[in-house]
Amino acid sequence: MHDFNYQNIDDVIHSRIRTAIMALLVSVEEAEFTYIRDKINATDGNLSVHLKKLEEHKYISVEKKFVERKPMSLYKITSEGRKAFEEYIRMLENIIKR
Amino acid sequence: MDSRQAEQELAVIKTIMEDSRKIGIDKGVHYIFWGVLVTAALIVNYIFLVMGISGPYIGMLWLVLMIGGWVVSAIIGRKENKARKVKTFAGKILSAIWIGAGVSMMMLGFIGIVTHAYNPIFVCPLIATVLGAAYFASGIVQSQNWVRNLSFGWWAGAILMFIFPGFHSLLVFAFMMVALQTVPGIILYRQWKRYESAPAQYV
Repeated sequence: MHDFNYQNIDDVIHSRIRTAIMALLVSVEEAEFTYIRDKINATDGNLSVHLKKLEEHKYISVEKKFVERKPMSLYKITSEGRKAFEEYIRMLENIIKR
Repeated sequence: MDSRQAEQELAVIKTIMEDSRKIGIDKGVHYIFWGVLVTAALIVNYIFLVMGISGPYIGMLWLVLMIGGWVVSAIIGRKENKARKVKTFAGKILSAIWIGAGVSMMMLGFIGIVTHAYNPIFVCPLIATVLGAAYFASGIVQSQNWVRNLSFGWWAGAILMFIFPGFHSLLVFAFMMVALQTVPGIILYRQWKRYESAPAQYV
């Protein structure tokens, strides 16, 4: 039997859309805003809000640049974000094992 | 959160992570470009030999085409890299494999021959051996067994050319370039196009 405390759930990751963003970013080196949007089927506004939240908690970082005069935002998972995501997975596994 | 929800969440995470690792990292453009370029050079080289045109001209032909090829390849790569919406670790490894193989082939094809380190008749099987290694590694990195299996074709061809050397090797190698490089490049390009037009959606 594994102990489970709901207070241990990482609220920053624990949302369908943010979990998807983290799962996507943990598997690649970096991804552009529109790529993430298309992959997780989100709207621009909705995705921006969730990305901002992850960024505020330093789980992801962003690099903004211009390519052929078009703005491009590239998102990357940080080592803090990777650690938090691994912890989140471990928590999910513990819930299943209970 | 109950265990059923946790299982569902883990399943979604697993799907996203597995799918992201399968991203069509190789567009196949470089395979097609080099396949066509080298096939054309091999045929011209064969014609030169049949017509009795001497070594220095053949050397010049390869030198010009290969330097031109690297320049064009670098421009294509730079453009692709700039416009790429997603970068993967596998993509980085793949670039390293092909740059390493390319340098090795240039060393064998130019330095080896200029220094008379070996009989030039064996240049085709030697390069086919390097290509076999590169295809084997890149097939594994891309999780594409059919790409990995192309290496057996390259190695089988290399064995044949080692056993039966001669300038007909140029034609054998040209055929291999079309069948084991250009055609796979077209298949990779089609796969990439399909992937780009219908990306998976999870949420």
